[in-house]
Amino acid sequence: MPPVTREPERLTSVGIDVGTTTTQVIVSELSVEDVSSGGATRLGVTDREIVHRGEIRETPLVDPETIEVDAVAGIVDAELRAAGVEDVDTGAIIVTGETARAANAEPLAHRIAESTGEFVVATAGPELEAVLAGQGSGAARRAAEREETVANVDVGGGTTNIAVFDEKGVRDTLCLDVGGRLVRLGKDGTVSAVSDPVQRLARAEGLELAVATIPDREALVAVAKAMADRVIDALTGPPYDESTLDLAIGSLPAESIPLDAVAFSGGVGRLLVAENDASGAIRDDPEPGISDPGPVSDDWRAYADLGPLLAAALAGRANETLPVVTLEEDIRATVVGAGTRTTRFSGNTIHVESDGPLRNLPAFPVGELDCERSELGDVLSSAVETARERHEAEPGFALAISDVGSLSYERIEALAAALADAYTPLPSDLPLVVVTRQNCAKVLGQGLARRVEGRSVVAIDELTVDVGDYLDIGTPMRRGGAVPVAIKTLAFDS
Amino acid sequence: MASETNDTDGEQSSRDRSTARPIDNPIDREALERITARNPSRLGVGRSGPRPRTETLLQFRSDHGLARDAVLTHVDEAVVDELGLMKIQSGVADKDEYLARPDLGRDISEETTARLREECTTSPQVQIVVSDGLSSTAVETNVPELLPVLLDGLADRGLDVGTPVFVEYGRVDVMDAIGEELDADCCVNLIGERPGLASAESLSAYMVYGPERGTPTSKKSVISNIHDGGLPPIEAGAQIADLVEEMCERECSGLELREDDREFQEAA
Repeated sequence: MPPVTREPERLTSVGIDVGTTTTQVIVSELSVEDVSSGGATRLGVTDREIVHRGEIRETPLVDPETIEVDAVAGIVDAELRAAGVEDVDTGAIIVTGETARAANAEPLAHRIAESTGEFVVATAGPELEAVLAGQGSGAARRAAEREETVANVDVGGGTTNIAVFDEKGVRDTLCLDVGGRLVRLGKDGTVSAVSDPVQRLARAEGLELAVATIPDREALVAVAKAMADRVIDALTGPPYDESTLDLAIGSLPAESIPLDAVAFSGGVGRLLVAENDASGAIRDDPEPGISDPGPVSDDWRAYADLGPLLAAALAGRANETLPVVTLEEDIRATVVGAGTRTTRFSGNTIHVESDGPLRNLPAFPVGELDCERSELGDVLSSAVETARERHEAEPGFALAISDVGSLSYERIEALAAALADAYTPLPSDLPLVVVTRQNCAKVLGQGLARRVEGRSVVAIDELTVDVGDYLDIGTPMRRGGAVPVAIKTLAFDS
Repeated sequence: MASETNDTDGEQSSRDRSTARPIDNPIDREALERITARNPSRLGVGRSGPRPRTETLLQFRSDHGLARDAVLTHVDEAVVDELGLMKIQSGVADKDEYLARPDLGRDISEETTARLREECTTSPQVQIVVSDGLSSTAVETNVPELLPVLLDGLADRGLDVGTPVFVEYGRVDVMDAIGEELDADCCVNLIGERPGLASAESLSAYMVYGPERGTPTSKKSVISNIHDGGLPPIEAGAQIADLVEEMCERECSGLELREDDREFQEAA
């Protein structure tokens, strides 16, 4: 119904980024309003205000590959207290960095979820991180507003995640094993650890970075330059250097994408921005940076890693060849993206009959049900059976139907009957969760609720999900309104 | 959220105009496509000198013809029979009088009242009324899908439903008269919206708790823009059932039902 007097509903959203090097927390207020422009009512986030920017702290580690879960939970609690926040409505936790730490991500996510209550939790793969960083930095907005093609290059401790945006949204993502912490240094400059990809890169350059030795500054500069070259090579497009392909996580773009602007974010990105600010290299500075996490040290060993040298090398290379710009967020780009961009909304005529939020439901796409009515039963029974086998260990799954066929009474009744039958063999505490692209969740939910007994029925609509996506479904907004939904791609991916 | 007659939100639809030939040689074709895709209005249709193109003009006249037809045709008897609706007529004699005399379209004659009392269940919790309103096309297109979902939904909620009635030449408020005469707790009127040039088949559902003649518009709830390009009719059926249940529980409708509106009123 068209709201006449309605104030925007406010959601408190928390973003938590547990990175290779730093852990950050932000709290934001999202204004949720009717954003429909004709057609069915639709909720969307109309304003995002960051109300608390937490301190940037070292990520507490038991050893280089294991996060200290209790200590991270302690940081989150402390930041929420500092922000004066008691009830969290939504948000996301992103555990970034080398894949070995993904094993840690799940217990950490659950731990945080327990202490924050109504909290939609997500972890991410590098592609999602790249996108969140670009949304948090302002690259996505710049691309949309100016109709430009903008790359956001998020250079952190463990990885470099690049997202390319155009006016329509995400155009491509690319990720590399390039980061400041891939070479760790002691106080006196002793190498304490070098990651394998960097070791290979160094050898290809004829350099040797042996642990427990003190290399020349020049040798480290050469390694940093080699890493910077790989980033520039990946951004420039094919043909790629052999070593760039070696550092790539996933695939690189098949063709070159002409860029109107390139922004840097992340911890190393911030050093680069600071370097450019100091040298006045960037003339195109639309908005002054609003995040100021304190002065940048000009000691190249200040962070006990290769970060400052990598930033300097990147600045040198990028300023020569790319249209570098400065945007509003740098080191906090990912956490801002996580806190303000991960919540989506279902349509607001839906059917939710469950006791609380549902978390980590794997999506099981059934695709288009373009079959005859008589075949619906067989198609859905086998889909539900397969879904159950594949996700037996999990709390349930969400059947995703991209096309239910015609939106007619007969069709929906037949679909509800076939779905209810397909679930009959399954334990009754397993919720029946169905996600449709078309606006038909309420009628489907009504048809299902009549046919199943003692089983929770959740039907939400106007969402598209894919294989490998996991869903967190919050509790409904207003009376029977839309639900906040976080769709996590590559969650807990190892 | 409610209005005197059903001629508020004329039309919002997404009729496909992609077949229309766009502006010749636009400077930025992609930007033009983005703009036209966002809005069903006649944007970027080009021109011939200072006039619209023949194609544009014909499309406009064709859409206008559809809109006029929606107003001036009658709902097919076969549709009314198939839906099992009891057919009555408002106080209006014909289409011309219907358009000229909204007041007559809101009431029913004494004979009709007598017939209703004789043939319908009296004192139901929910009385369903279907009215042609300003679009017979809207009724024929949407009600066959919407009504069975609504009846199922009301039955699921344990609400007892009276004999559904079809009113020819009905206005929104005809449900007040019918509900009052049949002593219904609440009334739903599924009525054709004033057609526009983008959609002639949009339907609205008006609802009132405690219907009686002269009930102010502020006490009515509405779900509008029901058609394939807006809120699909089956989904609307389930939504109306939800709202009716809430009306029956809270014994009110319209602005009184909306907490935020109530707060607003109290503050004013």
